Formats: sequence, C-alpha cells, structure tokens
Amino acid sequence: MKATVNRIIEHSLIDGPGNRLVVFLQGCNLACNYCHNPETQRVCVDCGECVATCPAGALSLVDGRVVHDPGRCRSCDTCLKVCPHFSSPKYRLVDVNEVHARLLELQDFLDGVTVSGGECTLQHEFVAELFRRVKADTSLTTFIDTNGQMSQEALETLLPVTDGFMFDLKALDADKHTQLTGADNRVILENIARTSREGHLHEVRTVIVEGFTDDEAEITAIARLVKGLDGRTRLRLIPFRPNGVKTELARLPAFDRARYESLCLVAERELGGRVVRSR
Amino acid sequence: MDKVIELVKDRRLTYPQKRHELAAAAENSLPYLQVGRRVQELMDSGVLHDLGEGHAPYRPRYILPDYVKFIRQGSRHLDLPAPRDLYEAVNALLILYRNVPSVTGYPVYLGQIDDVLEGFIDTVSPAEAERLLRMFLVNIDRTLPDAFVHMNIGPRATAVGRLVLKLEGELKKAVPNLSLKFSEETPPEFARLAVTTALDTSKPYFVNHAELRRVFGGDDYGIASCYNSLKIGGGSFTLVRLNLKEAARGARDYDQFMADVLPEVVDAQAELINARIRFIVEEAGFFESSFLAQEGLIDRRKFTAMAGFFGLYEGVQAFSGGRRMGHDKGADEMALAIMGRAHDLVKMHKTAYGKVFGGLLGVHAQSGIDTDVDVTAGVRSRIGDEPALYDQIRLQSALQRHFDTGVNDIYIFEANARDNPDGVLRIVRGAMKNGMRIMALNTSDSELIRITGYLVKRCEVDRYFRGEPVREGTVKLGADSIKNNRTLERRVRAVREGDGQ
Ligand code: SF4
Ligand code: SF4
Repeated sequence: MKATVNRIIEHSLIDGPGNRLVVFLQGCNLACNYCHNPETQRVCVDCGECVATCPAGALSLVDGRVVHDPGRCRSCDTCLKVCPHFSSPKYRLVDVNEVHARLLELQDFLDGVTVSGGECTLQHEFVAELFRRVKADTSLTTFIDTNGQMSQEALETLLPVTDGFMFDLKALDADKHTQLTGADNRVILENIARTSREGHLHEVRTVIVEGFTDDEAEITAIARLVKGLDGRTRLRLIPFRPNGVKTELARLPAFDRARYESLCLVAERELGGRVVRSR
Repeated sequence: MDKVIELVKDRRLTYPQKRHELAAAAENSLPYLQVGRRVQELMDSGVLHDLGEGHAPYRPRYILPDYVKFIRQGSRHLDLPAPRDLYEAVNALLILYRNVPSVTGYPVYLGQIDDVLEGFIDTVSPAEAERLLRMFLVNIDRTLPDAFVHMNIGPRATAVGRLVLKLEGELKKAVPNLSLKFSEETPPEFARLAVTTALDTSKPYFVNHAELRRVFGGDDYGIASCYNSLKIGGGSFTLVRLNLKEAARGARDYDQFMADVLPEVVDAQAELINARIRFIVEEAGFFESSFLAQEGLIDRRKFTAMAGFFGLYEGVQAFSGGRRMGHDKGADEMALAIMGRAHDLVKMHKTAYGKVFGGLLGVHAQSGIDTDVDVTAGVRSRIGDEPALYDQIRLQSALQRHFDTGVNDIYIFEANARDNPDGVLRIVRGAMKNGMRIMALNTSDSELIRITGYLVKRCEVDRYFRGEPVREGTVKLGADSIKNNRTLERRVRAVREGDGQ
C-alpha cells in the first residue's frame, strides 16, 4: 500500500511525546489562511511553473510530468514558494513497507511515529496499515496530527490502532472557523468528542491569530471545551507566525508575545497545568 | 631562566596558577627522562605527544582515591577520625581533596559521591543536607578552580544524587565536571532529572554502566578528568597520545600504514609510556612517599596507563581521497578498521607496574588540546561536519567499543529540546543500547560550553579574551580551543530534523 508523502522527518521532539519519526502526507481538505505548510495542501498539476526557478537544476518536465531529482536538490524550497497551486514537486509515492522498515531500524532511538500532513486521515487506510504493523512488531506509540475534518469511516478505522490524536481546533466560533479554514467546525467538534470518549485525545491545538482567535472569550470557550474532555487532554496554544504563509495573512506580524502570554493565563485559569505554551 | 622570570612577572596568572607554572618550569629545567632515539624523533615530529606532563614526572597523571574507604577509616596522615555525620564527612572530603595530586595539581576525581555520602544523609535534616551539599559544591568550585575536577553519581537514584543534580542545575558552574553512571537500575524519573540538568548545564555525562562494568569487571571504576574511565583506588600513571593524522603522513598508503607504520609508532608510544611510569615509580618514588598509598586509599596495582589516539577523522581522509567518516560507508569501515588495529596493537603491550586490564595498556580517545589546529579530537567527526543524528550515534558507538580508558561524543540540541527531556532521554537510551560508552548533551544557548571533555563558562571566556586574570586555568585552555578548533560550530540538532527522503 502506498501514500503520497510530502516528507519524512526522522527526529522530532515537537510532534507528540518523546522522540518521534514523523511522516507528512500530501493533500488537505481545508485551506487555512495561515497554513505554514501550504505546499502540502494539493496535488501537483504538473503545470511546470516551478521547474525553471530551481537553482540546482533538480526539476524537469518529462512527458508532461514534473520530476524531482533528490540527488541534486539543495532543499532551498524555492519551488515551494513559487508553486501557485499549493503543492510541491518533491512529494512522492511511498510504500508502507519502506516506512515500516525504517521504523524497525530506528526503533531504539524513538518513542514512536506520528503521521501528519496535509491531512493524513485522507489516506487513512495507509495510516491504519502502518500503525497496525508498527504495533505488531515494536513497542513504538502511534500518533496522528489532524485538522479533525475526517469522515466517520476514517476515524473508526484509526481509533483502534492509534495511541494519541492531536487535533487542531482553529476556532470554536463557527463563523470564525469558516473564515479561517473555508469550512465550519461541526464535524471537527464531533470527532474531538468521539476521540476523547475513547481516551485517545492527546492534545487540542489552537493558533492564536490577530482578529480571529485573540479574544479572551474565544480562548476561555476553547479551554472550557477541553476541560470537559478526558483529563489527559492538553491544550496547546500557538502564537501566529507568518513563516511559510501564502495568503494575505502573510503580511501579519508574529503574534505579540505579551498578549500571547496573557491569553495563556486566561486558558490556565480553566485548565491549569494542562495548557502547553510555545517558546 | 627567562621562562621563570617571565612567569614571575606575568599579570594574567593568579597566584596559584603562577606557583603551578613555576613548579613545572623547575621540573622542565631538568633534561627529559631517558627515551630511545626513535621515540624522540616521533615526539619532535608531533606523532607522539606527552601532553606537557613534564620532563621528570613525580606523580601519576590521574589518581582516583578510594573515598569510600577514606570515609570509613579517616586518615592518620591528615589527623582525621572517621566522620560521624554529614558535617564531618563533607569537611573531611574537602580536606582530602587538597591533598590529592594529579598532573594539574587539582584532584581530577572527587569520588562516587552518592556512595561516599549517602550513609550520612539521615544524620541531618533534609534542609541541612541541601545547605551542606550546596556549600560543598560551592567550595569545590572556588577552591579547586579547574574543570577537570570530576564527580560521579549513579546508577541508582539516591538523595545525594538528586541533590547534586538539583544544585548543579541551580549553580550552573563549570566545576565540578559530573558523570552519571546510567543503567537499567537508573529510575526514569532520576534519568529525566539528569537530562534536564544536562540540557541546562551540559552536566552530567551519561556513562554506559553496563558496558564499563564489563570492561572493569565490576563497579569499582570512576570517571575522572575529561571523561577518563579508570579504576577506583588507582588511576592512570600517564597519557601519551598518538596523532593519527601525522602518523598517516609517514605512510605510503593505507596498507603500509596498517602493516608497518601503526605498529611501529604504537611500539614507540608504549616505550614512552613505560619510561614515564618507571620514572614515577622508581626515580620519584611516588608510592613510597604518598600517604594515600600508605593508608590504602590507592594501590599501585590498580593503576593503568593510557595510549591516546586522536585525528582519526583526518587519518581516514588521508587514505580515502578525502572521504568523510559519518557520510560515507567506506570511510566508516576504514575508521573502524584503523581503530580496531590500533586497539589490538596497544593490547600487545604490558603496563609497567600496572595490573588493570590483565596488565595491558589502556586505550583512550584523546580529546585534543588548545593548541591543536586542523586535527579532530579523539575519534569524533570534525566539528561542523557531524553526520545525521542516528548515523553519528551508530558510528561513534561502534568506535567507542575500542576504548577502555575514556572516550566521549557530544550532542548539542536546539534550546527548545528542553521542553521534551523524555525525547532526549530516548536518544540517550538508544545510544547506550547501541554500545555508546560516554556521551555529553548540551543546548546551543547554554552558558556552559563543553570544550573537549571539560566545561567553561561563556562569560569567563570573554573575560579571558579581554585580558583579565581568570580563576579557572581551564578557561585559558577553553578560550584558545574555541579560537583554534571552532568549538562553537558543532552541529546543533534541531527539534525537527533528519530528512528521511
Ligand atoms: S528545493 Fe526545490 S527549488 Fe530548491 S533545489 Fe530542491 S527542487 Fe530545486
Ligand atoms: S509543484 Fe506546483 S508549480 Fe510545480 S509543477 Fe506542480 S503544481 Fe506546478
């Protein structure tokens, strides 16, 4: 079984508990204004626009399809910046055997594997297969980083093989959520509740963006929501940063640190030590 | 005598530093102890180096007194009865430390401090214990201002061990150097505290206790000075290092290096080592005049001597057309073959008067000195050319197997790794599982910088560069090392890195 993989990171201290290998899958079903990895959103349409901009000659068009040569690539990410289609010429089809084999090789150094994206649950069969095999052969834990916008079927497939879910909650207010992501949050809230009932909700994450999620009422409401969930669930608050952003929000400055800290305090009033701050 | 008057007038040296340098100048006004012509040639050409130990050595380089024994029996020479509570124990240790010789003049080993002090922990209240240990550590830092002064804890968690980690995390001083013997017996919560402290202060080292107890046939080893594993109650008479980069120059090609050059220079290295040992024992009569020996705190038979190696990275480059170990399978294999051969050659030589390791010489990865330029410490990757994290751990773990008297590798993480000590601990565990013997951690923004094996504070280095006298002798060494060896350019491990594509 194969999946479209944007990239694999073998050492991460910021994608769940402990040290983890992270697989970023290509393709997303939301279009958040402040997406930091917009190149993971869509499939490449082979328009060829990125080819000429590559300073290393690592890109070419062969029979109308863009081809990436990893041997030449200098990872300068110019192609990602210029792609008008929120895609990347660098993602590739990866077999589950390949990821599984690498996890076996590295298991001594890892606490587990996290699958992220894009929206990884769009390829839930691949994720479930990988997790099943990891669980059969290793003591590694399995985590999913999701925007929450997944089908019932995806969630039910993943719940039995996933140790922890990390859900984005872009906003609790439905209008704000639509403005930020292009969709309302009904499904996401249902999925959060369901995952929590199963005891697998590790973390809820909210990015604090000026004009959207930076008011006390919204943060308090999100904190209360988390408070009502399983006691193991943490709330991670992340200050907005413009890095990588491709929409008009790119012009926003990084979210003010002092205001960020004070909103964390607001959340901590509800949740105490269950709030995780970013440095 | 010019050297002497220069020292007398030097404005940068503190009084104790001056006195130490003057003693060295006196020793070095004597002719160098007798060695063969070939040894002399190899010293002159820089293949062999005695690390400035002196022309007429009168004490072993590293001494690891049996402090547990001392604390049980006191000392006749020092007129100290066996301590009865934590106050007396701390006081007795501080007195003894001032009387333990070494090449630097400071004790390079302060003991397995949990074994030494844990028995007294209930003789005072917890608050008093913390105050006493704080004063103990502050006293050590101020009176023994040398970052080669090394304390050990672990593998079990003890009240003393916990206090040492906690206080070191608060004090954030370069002295003492600290090692945690790490094993299955180390409780996770204690290990996590150690990782947290290490990400703040670069202390402690993580020492693979299962490996080293196998090497020493028991728990009675300590980590002294930089990162030297030696027998408690013994130590190392001397350390002579062999520069693999220079030695490679003397070879026609790789095969001739392995077949002829390396055996010949290791022979000479062993000859120099044994000449130095004989001088210490026979000429200087160290063991006849040392109260440590008379009172059974050291035993000549528990001493070994260290054949040090460095510049492996450049040695491999020389024979492989510039290939870089860590990045190239062929280069890795060559590195392992060279060290395997060097190890076997060293083990063909007896240690004069030494009985450790079946009476054979110890093998050591020498960490470089301040004046080295363009040659890499021990068997490490060149600073700035470290490979991907797991590749580095695997290669270093395989290389470290060849070293019984000390080796170390350094891993520097981005500052926000502090938010995830469990993840860093997993990497440490993985390294140990792969056979890594000793490793150091640090973060890129740490106030304490690990130079080779010892630590210096950034602000002290700045003071030295401004020309002010500094308390710790190691600051001068560290500052020069930073200039010559690009110490600050070590690869920093991002919290997310290692592209698997
Ligand atoms: S990142 Fe993209 S633009 Fe840069 S070298 Fe690689 S393929 Fe070319
Ligand atoms: S990556 Fe983007 S710019 Fe490049 S060919 Fe694909 S769609 Fe076009």
